[in-house]
Amino acid sequence: MSKQKSTPTRTSGKSIGVRIYYYRWFYVMALPVLVLVTLFNYLPMLGIRYAFYDYKPIGTPAFVGFKHFQTLFSRDAFWTAFFNTLQISVFKLLLTTLLAVVVSLMLNEMRNILAKKTFQTIIYLPHFLSWVVAASVFSLILSPSDSGLVNAFLKQIGVLEAGQEIYFLASKQWWRLMYYIIDVWKDTGWGTILYLATLAGISPDLYEAAEMDGANRWQQLRFITLPALYNTIITVLILNLAKVLNLFEPVFVLYNEAVYDVADVLQTYIYRQTFGVGVPNYGYTTAVGLFKSLVACMLVLACNWASKKVRGRGIV
Amino acid sequence: MGREKKFTLGDFFIYFAFVLIALFILLPIYKVLVDSLDLKSGYGMRLWPESFSFLGYKIILTTKSLYQPFLISVLVTGVGTLMGLAIVTLGAYVLIQWDMPGRNFFSYFLLFTMIFEGGMIPTYLVMRQLKLINTLWAVILPMSMSVYNLVLMRNFFEGIPGSLLEAAQIDGCSPIGIFFKVVLPLSKAALASIGLMFGVAFWNNYTNFKLYISNRDLYNFQMKLRDMMQGSDMVNTSEAIATNTLNNAAVIVAILPFMIIYPFCQNYFVQGVNVGAVKE
Repeated sequence: MSKQKSTPTRTSGKSIGVRIYYYRWFYVMALPVLVLVTLFNYLPMLGIRYAFYDYKPIGTPAFVGFKHFQTLFSRDAFWTAFFNTLQISVFKLLLTTLLAVVVSLMLNEMRNILAKKTFQTIIYLPHFLSWVVAASVFSLILSPSDSGLVNAFLKQIGVLEAGQEIYFLASKQWWRLMYYIIDVWKDTGWGTILYLATLAGISPDLYEAAEMDGANRWQQLRFITLPALYNTIITVLILNLAKVLNLFEPVFVLYNEAVYDVADVLQTYIYRQTFGVGVPNYGYTTAVGLFKSLVACMLVLACNWASKKVRGRGIV
Repeated sequence: MGREKKFTLGDFFIYFAFVLIALFILLPIYKVLVDSLDLKSGYGMRLWPESFSFLGYKIILTTKSLYQPFLISVLVTGVGTLMGLAIVTLGAYVLIQWDMPGRNFFSYFLLFTMIFEGGMIPTYLVMRQLKLINTLWAVILPMSMSVYNLVLMRNFFEGIPGSLLEAAQIDGCSPIGIFFKVVLPLSKAALASIGLMFGVAFWNNYTNFKLYISNRDLYNFQMKLRDMMQGSDMVNTSEAIATNTLNNAAVIVAILPFMIIYPFCQNYFVQGVNVGAVKE
């Protein structure tokens, strides 16, 4: 029941002119938002037309129809970036969700309040560090030089010998694993917040009743806790699935030329094709971006539809 | 027998797992901290500095090309957070005026930006046309209008009992008066929570700087740190300290402001997420 909606106000039922006059200052209040959203969200949408133009920093744009789309569909680097985006973001979504659920369940079983609070403070922490910091920390730790903790440790326990150091972040075999580990390090803890809120909302009566009936802790987990979490898990998956194609900064600060094959994603591809070449063709990279936005838009709408089905309300 | 009493094998396993997880999270940060205090590189598995010194921090505090980016970060974070809070609070208050003509249009105008976007390059081109490239406004303005934070603020506002607003209205308070005398004083927690989110986002901002700022004099600390890590920016002119140590110190400086406020503000952060997502 939404109260504001039904509350009769002074202006209910009055003519539109009276209402506009009554709310006149609100239009001023909305102005900064309207101006900024127009400038930085809607004006760029007009720029999408350049996907059909040849547009270089110098000279006037020339209309070229679907040329850029033909080019991009025929480029291996584009498809590599496209499939990398899907693989990396979907896998990391599933991985961090699964781990966040496990950690929340464990936290929920923890009965010492102080220990629980301390642990929460620790696991939320990395979420607030920038990706630049995360990348810096891990490239220092994973460094193949004699300053790198991980390589030093592996040598100490005899897994590696001197000269066999692993270039974790510059090796095609290792990069993705390292990426997932850093991602888990950074965001799993933060991901537990919603699950913990859901768990806190489960009535203790349910557990008491289950105990009366002789259910042990595992059975309580299986038949009370997990079903209660189901909706939240689906919600989190749907909300995040809609955004997977926007992956940029985490990859951008962790990848390098040696691992483009396994690490390049659409946004980093667009960035390099624009700012990493001599004379950028804004038309081509806008076309890549448009393709990305269209697929993303379909994903959002699909997720919105799924969200309405599953939990009765959309995500947007 | 109650759930509260026995310390079972399961409990032992849970605490053991938590110690491991806490180590996994803290060890990398601890290691960077230790190495930032060690003059000699080649740290390996050292968990305590071999030749202890604060020289790395002293260099950062006294070298202009290092403390200037830090000051730019402070400036952008301060201005951006205040602007963001003002803009988002006003916008959110408009969104709860159900009776206002145009309110629905305003709402859809905002929501559409969550479904569709111009993308990286068209946005860059707009920035260029607006002559904002290589100005700090290019970083501050787009981020100070966050639709996500605005919706969050609206959710907070909707939690204010309607009867309070009604009472103020009956007492003859104008809508603007209600905003300043009723809504804002009741929203201190919301302002703190969303202010912190803005603050962290501005402090950590890297992508916008990378896209819109190429003038090194306008780099923030994240950009500087990145350049140092990539070795494209040789700031270490001292023989006394390993470049690696200086890099470690720069990482610590980048996270220090947050580490100082975090223990006191953790609840506000958590509150923000819950109001944003769990709301039905």
